[in-house]
Amino acid sequence: MTLSPDQSRREFMKAAVAMGGASALSACLDRDDESGESETTAGPVPSGVDDPADLPASQHGWNDQLPEDEHGNAVLPRHHVFLYLNLDESGEPSEEARETVASALATLDRAYERSNEGLIYSVAYSPSYFDRFDESLPDSVNLPEPRRLSSFEEPELDTQDALLHMSSDRADVVLEAEEALRGNVEANGVEMETPLFDVVTDADRRTGFIGDGMPAERQDVKGIPDSKPVPEESPLFMGFKAGFVGNQATEEYVSIDEGPFAEGTTKHLATIRQRLSDWYVENDFEERTQKMFSPLHSEEGLVESTGHELGDHSGVTPETTEAMPDHAREFGRVGHAQKMARANRDDDGNPLLLRRHVESTDNDEVSLHFPSLQQDIAQFERVRQAMNGTDVDSPSVRQRVNNGILEYIFVKHRGNFLVPPRRHRALPRPRPE
Amino acid sequence: MKRRQYLAAGLSVPLLAGCLDGQTDDGDTTNAEPTDSTTSTEPGSPDSDGIYVQPFVENMLTAGTTASGEYEFGVFYTFPHQFWTVTGTERSEQPRSDDHSLHLMASVWDSETETVLPNTGLSVEITRDGDLVSEEVIYPMFSQRMGFHYGANFKLGDNGTYSVTVSIGGTDLRRTGSFEGRFEDPASATVDFDFTKEQRDKLTTQDIDAGGDPGAVEPMDMGMLPIGRAKDPADLPGTVLGSTTADGITYVVTSIGDERFGDGTYVAVSARTRYNGLLVPAMGLSGTITRDGETVYDGAFERTLDPELDYHYGALVDGVATGDELSLSVDVPPQVARHQGYETAFLDTPTVDMTL
Repeated sequence: MTLSPDQSRREFMKAAVAMGGASALSACLDRDDESGESETTAGPVPSGVDDPADLPASQHGWNDQLPEDEHGNAVLPRHHVFLYLNLDESGEPSEEARETVASALATLDRAYERSNEGLIYSVAYSPSYFDRFDESLPDSVNLPEPRRLSSFEEPELDTQDALLHMSSDRADVVLEAEEALRGNVEANGVEMETPLFDVVTDADRRTGFIGDGMPAERQDVKGIPDSKPVPEESPLFMGFKAGFVGNQATEEYVSIDEGPFAEGTTKHLATIRQRLSDWYVENDFEERTQKMFSPLHSEEGLVESTGHELGDHSGVTPETTEAMPDHAREFGRVGHAQKMARANRDDDGNPLLLRRHVESTDNDEVSLHFPSLQQDIAQFERVRQAMNGTDVDSPSVRQRVNNGILEYIFVKHRGNFLVPPRRHRALPRPRPE
Repeated sequence: MKRRQYLAAGLSVPLLAGCLDGQTDDGDTTNAEPTDSTTSTEPGSPDSDGIYVQPFVENMLTAGTTASGEYEFGVFYTFPHQFWTVTGTERSEQPRSDDHSLHLMASVWDSETETVLPNTGLSVEITRDGDLVSEEVIYPMFSQRMGFHYGANFKLGDNGTYSVTVSIGGTDLRRTGSFEGRFEDPASATVDFDFTKEQRDKLTTQDIDAGGDPGAVEPMDMGMLPIGRAKDPADLPGTVLGSTTADGITYVVTSIGDERFGDGTYVAVSARTRYNGLLVPAMGLSGTITRDGETVYDGAFERTLDPELDYHYGALVDGVATGDELSLSVDVPPQVARHQGYETAFLDTPTVDMTL
């Protein structure tokens, strides 16, 4: 990863976020000075609140602060940093460490407006973190250890204590916030009195981005064929849009509804390598549409380019799902969205998962970070297992071939976390008062 | 590099004649020299089979063999190959390109019984000095020289040492007998190999005069490594009820009464290539058994792996009697990619009828 003045502005900002650190931040700021405008917003970064207690109860309550596209789909911030953190001290966290975390996060809240123009973030805790305590989590929280969710994947299981997920439309903001947490700079002019990194160490740092056109600008990485086939207007490397509002659970729906962690949620995060050479070279557009959505989408011409035209819903109906055995027979393949839709619904037809995945070029490879929010980790596991398509009995639909997009994605990490409500976000006990 | 370029290079090596004679030079990595490349065309065999003698034979080099858990893996390579993938009844050519460095093959077998395992969702990751070179799901394939294996063309970089990690998933095949409950877990294992001019010079290719004629070249001698060969009918368990051939596939039907298959009579169809008896996996097969005009079974013959029957298609029926009529239909042709000589076969297999 290098920063070069020849890079396009957006490419430069993504590279800076991926690289991280004070030098990337200062390169980023220099670049801002030169051009006199920021990537998507000009001028100073809006400040936060005087009293963090005024912020909404749910850390995962982002949508109110995010813009919507013309179809009402929430538009995620463009730049993302995922910090996997371990507490320096062993055993139950001390009150001192808890106060440090609380103070560091409160500083971020005062420094940055909680929005795509400022900083929007959440901190979450793993089952391994809760193992530090003698007491267990209450029954109202189901937070098992992560595990493999297909017959073929062998992911590294993320068991770090905590996951801090920060995002902003502005590369300089995520970089500055991180550097401030490390005690290296002020956060938007606010002094970080107790840097978070006084009590934690980062075990891993991953970065991501999402936005129409961003993948197309970043095709010179491993996993993309030399022909650079990613469509200009696509928000994702695979060439299609995802995250239609009609297929997403609401923030309220994924909230834990009782007990001390009510208004919190659970978060699964998979980090997935993408290998898109065969995706683009061996499949034509029709075949990609069949595999991403369903053979019916291709037959009926529902997808014309990147799927933006689908509007607020993927177009997968109960009929599409029921037709899966017929599609396996007739077309020799089934679609990704088609497999997922059935499992991702409660009895009343509400989607169970709220997915907030972003693309990545960490390590100069095409990958994605796939956070999914749900009341209960078991819901995520069931939906993910539906993606395996094991109920499709056809010799042409194999474990990974002709089976949605499974041929092209390689799960490298899985982690499970509890996103506590804001009131318990600082090193919570399993049964806080 | 193109096969032709290799061919030109190969001609300067005296190994070429040795190929046909089954001789090897130093033989340390070339365990798979063609030992007998004569074709096994049966006189008067019909052209309609679709199987034809592949127009060349090549050797391959062993990158390495390794083991993990209950599995053993072999990784091999040869010249980049043209092959055809099959989805349903649709065949797509996957041409060689100048970019390709080699055709990489992997096979996986049960270390206990040496049964070759299909349906594992196999993928390979190639790295060099820890840097990612490639990672792909590679396709189940069928070739005259190697039978069932997994393969793909890859582009590597400069000469050097590459690491190939083979990963498989638990199989989704039905398993019976001592295979029940086995092969459920994923596993990975890595071999390192030197991809150098010196190694590549050991690759040879030989045109076959009978190329294109009906028939097939013989499978290569893999030394100690197993390939998916069907048992002789006489060695199959149970009572062999009959056999018939259509579109290059020979079906041998046997019946077994054994509790491992459940309560009733198990009718197993062992499908193998008409030439050389290589197991034909991954078909959708169904059948009807009629007795005195009455249907006594009508349904799927399930893809199954059994330690005695090996890969076969099976159905549990109330009973079979001499004189029963069995009709077998290929609902989905074998979903394996095809090397040359097989790409015209097993795509439109007619229903076969036999009297048991």
